[in-house]
Amino acid sequence: MSTDAEGELAIETEGDIVATRHTVREVALALGFGITDVTRIVTAASELARNVYKYGGGGIVRWRRLGSRERSGIELQFIDQGPGIPDISKALEAGYSTGQGLGLGLPAARRLMDELEIRSDPGQGTCVTLTKWRAH
Amino acid sequence: MGPETLSVIKIKEILVVTLPSDPDDSTVAALQEKVLVEMERHQAKGVVLDVSAVETLDSFFARTVTETAQMIGVMGGRTIVVGMRPAVAITTTQIGLALGSIETALTVDRALDRVMLASSTTLESFQ
Repeated sequence: MSTDAEGELAIETEGDIVATRHTVREVALALGFGITDVTRIVTAASELARNVYKYGGGGIVRWRRLGSRERSGIELQFIDQGPGIPDISKALEAGYSTGQGLGLGLPAARRLMDELEIRSDPGQGTCVTLTKWRAH
Repeated sequence: MGPETLSVIKIKEILVVTLPSDPDDSTVAALQEKVLVEMERHQAKGVVLDVSAVETLDSFFARTVTETAQMIGVMGGRTIVVGMRPAVAITTTQIGLALGSIETALTVDRALDRVMLASSTTLESFQ
């Protein structure tokens, strides 16, 4: 089981979506998340890894352990240099999508995680940061 | 069974399809056609989709399962999804995936009992 504090994975192939799920599961389990939260985190990661692969033209996922005396958590960043998201608030509405999907990825990730931040400029790519805190 | 393998077995007139724990998108997409082809080949009355190994049911996977159930319905069959893990049930419900319209059962045994009971009742009612 990986005990690194942070790491990075390329998302260039369909198989990398599966690899993202494996890695995020290991990291979340090692951080002590319960199985329901692990499933939420891995599901959110799967949605965003697919977005990077399908709509962003590939990219990376970066994971990082967050910890202080009070609380611990996990941060996941999905970064691509794709076309970007023209209307972020629309992209967060279920059912909106410019691609072939049903536009469920971002709204799903927002419901499953504690924090979601999107930085995107048309033509400059997209960076989505997800955070989940462990309940103590 | 490998992590990407779809297993299909026939019990009487019902297909029991076991989904792998962590399939890639191509495997998920291939599931649809494979199940429908097997259904026609075996003249099956229904399909029991065993998802007990599935650890992550994201929107793509859930949508494929829902669509497959609809397609089986169009072909005149019945679909029962069985064995969903509690954490998976919590997650898919929380993100609002429309699995609610699909018939479910806790175990394969219970699903088979239900389909077989339904077909024997139907036979009796015609006698």
